[in-house]
Amino acid sequence: MSTLTALMALLFFPGGLIILLVGLAYEWADRKLVARFQNRIGPRWFQPLADIVKLLAKEEVVPQGVHPGLFVTLPVIALSGALTAALYVPVFGLAPSYSFSGDLIVTVYLLSLLTLCTGLAGANTLNRFSLIGATRTLTQLFSYEAPFLLALLGPALAAGSWRISTIADYGADRWLILAQPVGFVVALIGLMGKLELPPFDAPEAETEIVAGALTEYSGRGLALFRLGKGVELVVGLTLVAAFYLGGVANPIAFFAKTLALLGVLAGLQSLLARLRIDQTVGLWWRYGTILALVQFLILIVWKGLAA
Amino acid sequence: MKVMTMWRDALDGLVKSPATQRYPFVRAVAPDRLRGQLHWNPESCTGCGLCAKDCPAEAIEVIVLDKKAKRFVFRYHVDRCTFCAQCVASCRQGCLEMASDAWELAATDKDDFLVHYGAEEDVEAVLAGAPAADAPVAE
Amino acid sequence: MASEKFVIPIGPQHPALKEPGHFEFNVDGEIVTDASVRLGYVHRGIEKGAETRNFVQAEYLVERICGICSHVHATAFCLGVERLAGVEAPPRAQAIRQIVAELERIHSHLLWVGVAAHEAGFDTLFMYTWRDRETVMNLLEGITGNRVNYSANVLGGVKCDIGPEQAEAIQIGLNFLEERTRHYLEVVSSDAMFLRRTRGIGVMTREDAERMGVVGPTARASGVPRDVRIDAPYLLYAEHPVELVIEEAGDLEARFKVRVRELFESYRVIRELLTALPEGELTARIPRRIKPAETISRVEAPRGELFYFIKSNGTDSAERVKVRTPTLPNMASVLALSVGHQLADVPMILAGIDPCFSCNDRMAVVKRNGDEQVWTWEQLRQYGIEYYR
Repeated sequence: MSTLTALMALLFFPGGLIILLVGLAYEWADRKLVARFQNRIGPRWFQPLADIVKLLAKEEVVPQGVHPGLFVTLPVIALSGALTAALYVPVFGLAPSYSFSGDLIVTVYLLSLLTLCTGLAGANTLNRFSLIGATRTLTQLFSYEAPFLLALLGPALAAGSWRISTIADYGADRWLILAQPVGFVVALIGLMGKLELPPFDAPEAETEIVAGALTEYSGRGLALFRLGKGVELVVGLTLVAAFYLGGVANPIAFFAKTLALLGVLAGLQSLLARLRIDQTVGLWWRYGTILALVQFLILIVWKGLAA
Repeated sequence: MKVMTMWRDALDGLVKSPATQRYPFVRAVAPDRLRGQLHWNPESCTGCGLCAKDCPAEAIEVIVLDKKAKRFVFRYHVDRCTFCAQCVASCRQGCLEMASDAWELAATDKDDFLVHYGAEEDVEAVLAGAPAADAPVAE
Repeated sequence: MASEKFVIPIGPQHPALKEPGHFEFNVDGEIVTDASVRLGYVHRGIEKGAETRNFVQAEYLVERICGICSHVHATAFCLGVERLAGVEAPPRAQAIRQIVAELERIHSHLLWVGVAAHEAGFDTLFMYTWRDRETVMNLLEGITGNRVNYSANVLGGVKCDIGPEQAEAIQIGLNFLEERTRHYLEVVSSDAMFLRRTRGIGVMTREDAERMGVVGPTARASGVPRDVRIDAPYLLYAEHPVELVIEEAGDLEARFKVRVRELFESYRVIRELLTALPEGELTARIPRRIKPAETISRVEAPRGELFYFIKSNGTDSAERVKVRTPTLPNMASVLALSVGHQLADVPMILAGIDPCFSCNDRMAVVKRNGDEQVWTWEQLRQYGIEYYR
């Protein structure tokens, strides 16, 4: 790509500014849907944007006892990880800006970079709530990562490639949700774990540990983390929609499918109580991994038979 | 053991309108018995001062200018009032009632919270600092 | 991380607490190894305030000890003062007091189900129970004129009557609430995810409950048959009794079930009273000055047994008012139960006793080796000034 188009893609469209705004819009849609399920009105359309603007305008308080360099740079690294991951997935139904063989693994690990930065940010402070939140974040990271990756590898195996654009094209007319329903369920629930949505929000359980790993953050740092979470939401939904729901060939299909998935996520969020961290780990390492492995085995056997 | 037992509520929530009242654009009608601001009707008042004596918040002062001529001024501190309506129950003549429509009582100036009831010339006399016929009945 | 001793402070400011209180939990990883509590953040000097006001004014002061159990505080005080004066409120007033008390119990239990669900992370149940609580608050506003701190009592009776209009509104409201409560009972006892947070957590055996002296639904969930409305009936509970709602398991699920089932009892008693509302006056005459005497007054607040000691001295003010609220004995059980549980269960265990910190804060005189200090008002003021200098 020429330098100008590359810069455009990185900073403006489809990466950068536009995806930040779309991430905020998806966060709004999620909050509005959950509010409607709870018979409330919910926030107005500009609420997440207003939150970010307010946070950016506030003073960032660096608490005592932290490593100041780490404190300030971790949010930046987290957001850049999420934004970089967005470059490899077909957001808005357009072809990814960059693509190479094996970029599926890179994307998943870039998304994990955000969670890792959250955990490190929590461990960086002296605040007890942050420390417990950091422990829980990292514990949860270790538990859902394997099944989530396996669930995304199912379509990769079917398509015979590690490249996201190839897999998305392969799934373009085949609705793999019908062929691999178990994989789809594990991928969707894994997405909830990655995004720390209820019932997997033990790392940021408000009534137990205030705000978890991000308790000490305010102002710019918190704004960057929240933007990163919004981008992670869009990227995760795109991955699951592109792989399982028949690809995202054009913007209309993209928005329709990802918003439908978001509706399902919002429904699950409002209907399930929070799980304790040990219950989360138990659930994932018992059922999640086994289901994903079973799905994988079926695929391998089927592929072997078909060959 | 069931999962997602509240699914019906969630689905109903999508189609029904929200339970939130969009105050101040939509305002529910207050019930008749709502205990709003206190009103004093001087017709039957005998100046006994039981209302002031029984008020738990010391929000009432009955200033007696002339007991025989029944010239009283009723000083009411809206900001001290707890709207308990004990004064209404204590008054044997039924001079007091609490309005059911005056419940949005916020103000930006503390002076708005001091209300004087009574005949105009009596209130002016009190505000000008005229000495009362007896001492004020309550602190 | 495993061997490090960690102290987690919960409070005085914490999203889990609705009112300030300071808990310190020693954790080892996620398991709690020790717990301690410090109360007193909401001490307002109400008992002292009651000594300088006359009985009529003091009633409204004690009503504001707590927002959710304000009517039972006022009822206990009025019952005590009426007993001192040798006056009994007319039957219609007692019936109306009982109806408002049971409506308040409904309000309190619905509020509690929501708050406990919120502590468990189940916000949907929280929102729906609080939405339905608006129904009972509107009913109380229609009867008494206020949604919280109803001020329905006067010394000798009640201020507000229940006419046919209010009775019909109550019936409609109760029908709606009863249907919703059946749904909530089903959610609380059969929702799989919710039960994972409540079943088997915070188990208190009957022996422990009796030893620690817990009261109210917390005790009844452990099989202790203790309910002041049945053991020592007041108002019209002798003619229109409630049935004892008791569970044996003693865990959080049992506490949920006891409170939700108590709601059904409240609905039944209110309906019974509405059909059999006695005719008559609303107040009885009570003298201003009460002759010197002492009395106690026990009522069943939504949280347990509420105990009043009132002493009069011949003037129109009380000599001493002592209040013992139900949360105080229940608080000790939180400390004992949370040891050995995970940190994530601690807010649930705390919510399980339905804590009301505002009710809690009383002064206690500690006598140590006969060295007793009684301070005058001036000494107390001076001490405060010095302390904060």
